[in-house]
Amino acid sequence: MPRYAMVIDLQRCVGCGACSIACRSENNVPDGIYWSNKITETVGKFPHVRYHYIPTLCNHCQYAPCVRGCPTKAMHKLDTGITMHDPKKCIGCKYCEFNCPYGVIYFNWETPHRFWRDEKPVIPGGTASPKELSEKVGGKVIPYYNPDREETSAGIRPKGVVEKCTFCDHRVRKGQLPYCVEACPANARIFGDISNPSSDVSVLLGKHRPFRLREQLGTEPHVFYIREYNPARYKATKGGV
Amino acid sequence: MSIKKALYPIWLAVLGFGILIGFYTAMKLFTDGHILFNTNDVIIWSLPLGVYIFLALTSSGLTLLSAIPLVFGVGKYEPFAKRLVFLAIATLCGGFVSIGLELGTVTHMIYIMLSPNLSSPIWWMGAIYSVELVLLVIKFWRLHAGDWHSRFSKFLGSASFFCALAAPLMIGSVFGLTESRITFFGPVMSIYCLLMAFLSGLSFFILYSVVVEKIGSSTSKDFENIIKEFITIFRYAASAVVVFTLVKIAIESATVVPEFLVSTKFKYAFGALGRVPNEVVFGLFLPFILLLIPVLMKSAGGRVFTSVLMWAGALAMHMQILIAGQSHPIGPKAEQFPEFMAYSPSKWEWLVFLFAITVMLLLYTLGERYLKLTGARAD
Repeated sequence: MPRYAMVIDLQRCVGCGACSIACRSENNVPDGIYWSNKITETVGKFPHVRYHYIPTLCNHCQYAPCVRGCPTKAMHKLDTGITMHDPKKCIGCKYCEFNCPYGVIYFNWETPHRFWRDEKPVIPGGTASPKELSEKVGGKVIPYYNPDREETSAGIRPKGVVEKCTFCDHRVRKGQLPYCVEACPANARIFGDISNPSSDVSVLLGKHRPFRLREQLGTEPHVFYIREYNPARYKATKGGV
Repeated sequence: MSIKKALYPIWLAVLGFGILIGFYTAMKLFTDGHILFNTNDVIIWSLPLGVYIFLALTSSGLTLLSAIPLVFGVGKYEPFAKRLVFLAIATLCGGFVSIGLELGTVTHMIYIMLSPNLSSPIWWMGAIYSVELVLLVIKFWRLHAGDWHSRFSKFLGSASFFCALAAPLMIGSVFGLTESRITFFGPVMSIYCLLMAFLSGLSFFILYSVVVEKIGSSTSKDFENIIKEFITIFRYAASAVVVFTLVKIAIESATVVPEFLVSTKFKYAFGALGRVPNEVVFGLFLPFILLLIPVLMKSAGGRVFTSVLMWAGALAMHMQILIAGQSHPIGPKAEQFPEFMAYSPSKWEWLVFLFAITVMLLLYTLGERYLKLTGARAD
């Protein structure tokens, strides 16, 4: 059985956000919820400053705090190492969200995609209502609805349950890559079986010194970061006193 | 007709109104969702969860107190045993109302039994409190039937006592075992919750007993002697919490651990005197000092005031810990939310609080009226 992992090459990543947009459309992610997100930080003092951009998603930890804490096993591990969530079992206690050290789990505080359920025309007498528009293009709730998401979980998760990245398990089981990986124009995301020593992810992890987020917690995240986007040069120096 | 008799139906009407509002609140939450709360993906748990912790711990404290006559056989406390057990049941019911309305999808609760996760502190907390409630109800039924000393009755007393010991530890472990905020909640949470359970149970029991005796105008010498002893236990319990809290404040103040330091910015949700939060000053230290003044502890007013301060202070302390621990976003959530989040409850959260309290008060009222809660003794 493969053990899936992702390598994110920070030298290739340009911070375009295509991964996040692709994720939203593939997984019908509602407003305010981010399965694919980023951490940005600015370091130094002007004029010597740098901006760092780290794409984030569920780390599919080997020892996932969300899985350990879920009272109903709604949050569970698949044989492939993917951390999966079953909204049918979720009681909405939000402990997984509370317990996740990476801030990648979100709660559906209200009925998702509320805007697209609105039956009032945007301009009365002039335009269709969001709901009409969605129905006319054959969407389910949202006009850009992706029915493939239903293959392994709810197409759109209901209010009162949490949701998060699933490494696009519905695609991976068909031999396809997660959609964020597919959509990345810079090939900064590399996905594969970490238990296979000749897979691309294994080769890259052998070549570079990777880091993972909050490694000291011992959760064994399976999203690895390699290299750094840093064109800065400096004149050779020994410093001074 | 006496004033008391005239007020009784009005009191019931007020409680009935509170229950109706509670049902309306529940319906709104189920239809509109928890967007009605002032919560978000940073401050995830709020007043309803704080109220649950507070009431569940109070219930555990009451159960622990009931063990003095029912498990350890101190006969002079027997007249209070039945009331203690009943109050523990009613208070826990109030807590369950609050947590039930905090959960996003309460209809999926069946999976707590169908696919239990034994590594989850939340599962253990829910399971132990559910078992405790069942045991307490059966125990109360046996006491009401006059069965105080059968083996079954004693087993119920012991089992509910162990549940009341374990359940606060589990509430503490929900926070103490979290990986995401390890430095803020810390490993002492279980001990803290157990101490707070005992203190909350004591303060509430003294408050309740004094008020009920005053309403009944039937202060007996027995009652007076036993309440004095409860006040002595109250002093010791408060001392333990004071010492523990001082140690906690000292450790937190001296820390240089980064995660502690960022959280301290929101440490004083209710303001502070120096480095000591106001809820600790007015909800713990002040009532503790009042407890040490003998003349005050002889008057009903002094007892009520002190125990109200201590009981309400316990809620404020739980809320402070709960909110301060969640006040800063973790990881990428800092992209969407400010560095620190302020929180004040929405009207719907207050209504959940009101519903939980009303359920408790209604049960107390009916219990006092129909179940002969005081004066019962083993034959």
